[in-house]
Amino acid sequence: MIPLAIDAEDIRVSLQVAGLATLICIVVGLPMAWLLARHQFRGRTLVEVVVTLPLLLPPTVVGYYLLRALGAGSPFGRFLEDELGIRIVFTWYGAALAAAIVSIPFLIRTSQSAFEAVDSELEGVAQTLGRSRIGVFRAITFPLAARGIAAGVALAFARAIGEFGATVVVAGNIPGRTRTLPISVYDAVQAGDIDRANLTALLLVGISVASLLVFSWSLLLVRR
Amino acid sequence: MRRRFGIAAVLLCALGLGLSACGGDGRPTVLVAAAADLRFVFEAMEPQFEERCECNLKFSFGSSGTLATQISNGLKVDIFASADSSYVEQLEKAGLTLPETRQLYAVGRIVIAVPADSELEVETLADLRETNVRRIAIASPDHAPYGRAARQALENAGVWEAVVDRLVLGENASLATQFVETGNVDAGIVPLSLAISREEYLRAVLVDESLHEPLRQEVAVLKSSRHPDKATAFLAYVNGEGRSLMRQYGFVLPGESLQR
Repeated sequence: MIPLAIDAEDIRVSLQVAGLATLICIVVGLPMAWLLARHQFRGRTLVEVVVTLPLLLPPTVVGYYLLRALGAGSPFGRFLEDELGIRIVFTWYGAALAAAIVSIPFLIRTSQSAFEAVDSELEGVAQTLGRSRIGVFRAITFPLAARGIAAGVALAFARAIGEFGATVVVAGNIPGRTRTLPISVYDAVQAGDIDRANLTALLLVGISVASLLVFSWSLLLVRR
Repeated sequence: MRRRFGIAAVLLCALGLGLSACGGDGRPTVLVAAAADLRFVFEAMEPQFEERCECNLKFSFGSSGTLATQISNGLKVDIFASADSSYVEQLEKAGLTLPETRQLYAVGRIVIAVPADSELEVETLADLRETNVRRIAIASPDHAPYGRAARQALENAGVWEAVVDRLVLGENASLATQFVETGNVDAGIVPLSLAISREEYLRAVLVDESLHEPLRQEVAVLKSSRHPDKATAFLAYVNGEGRSLMRQYGFVLPGESLQR
């Protein structure tokens, strides 16, 4: 086997972590975005602040709270581990959760705009023509907002794959388990392993650029 | 559109799961949380030991204090190799180690290091007072034993006050060593083991061991270990056949003096 400076396991862990994080973002974020775009309710501003907060909060703070909430030192963490056999901290699930929290504002904010851009009169017409609310969402709202949502997914994925601060606090640096590409760069710098640092960093630049291209391409088609 | 979107999500997951399935070769993995000063010597031991025990060794390097905190917070590894004895003691008191496996495997030494191409003539800690030594790297004394030793040495040599404003703290000893190696600081007080491994890039002089508490490096198998037999075998290897490598990388072995 040719010794490659980049560790294939780091790529695998990163894809797993960012993949699951993106999925969590979609499952939690999309309904939230739709709710914020289409409904007025008490405490709406508070919800907006909470879902946007991870954008500004230092990721180490997010990681620290996750560790406190889910670690072996917390009653909830012990309950998960002892009763359900689920361990979050220092596993790739923890890394994915951390990445999801940090990435979700990108998905929610972008999808919210996409939903808001859908003409609500169209939805009203569809409803008067006898479609159920879910039917309206499937036939009108989602298809019209899909490009914008795809843009949000691309951004969230890019942010998730680049996550470092929260991940390193809550999941550590375990090769083959929680060592993602960004953590590998940090590890390579400490080891003085310039080849690994260079190649891994370059790969991350490539992934970010590709995600941004998907983002722009999605939005371009929205404007048309 | 909706369908295409769903397909993309499914593909993404399949990719992640598929990749996770193809990793690993069926051999058990022994995870070692190891102090940063052990990076190069443990990596040098890896091939021989892996073949011997038919297992994979994986290392998570960091400062001993960070690793001990991670272990108390639920990090599941098989072995904790510390750069001192206090953190092993701490985990033992918390009931996280297998006490009968705890052992001394090396005594660490610190050096004053400058980049290989440096024009500075630093021979003693007192030389660090010179105004052309603008920045000095040490590991963080709060959670890295080598950083603590560096601070004690500076204090006992009577130069702490003079240099405290020039200190750059690395998160662990290998990061502090990197700062020196890359010329981003003028000098550093770092582990002998790292200075030896990176001697292409560094010049180093030993710091008198009477200036700091001995870095009695201890190791233990953790209670949560999934392969305690393999983990114990690694400890036996480090303290047995691996001793020649430990010596070569600048560690003082239990019952010996420095062989350089």
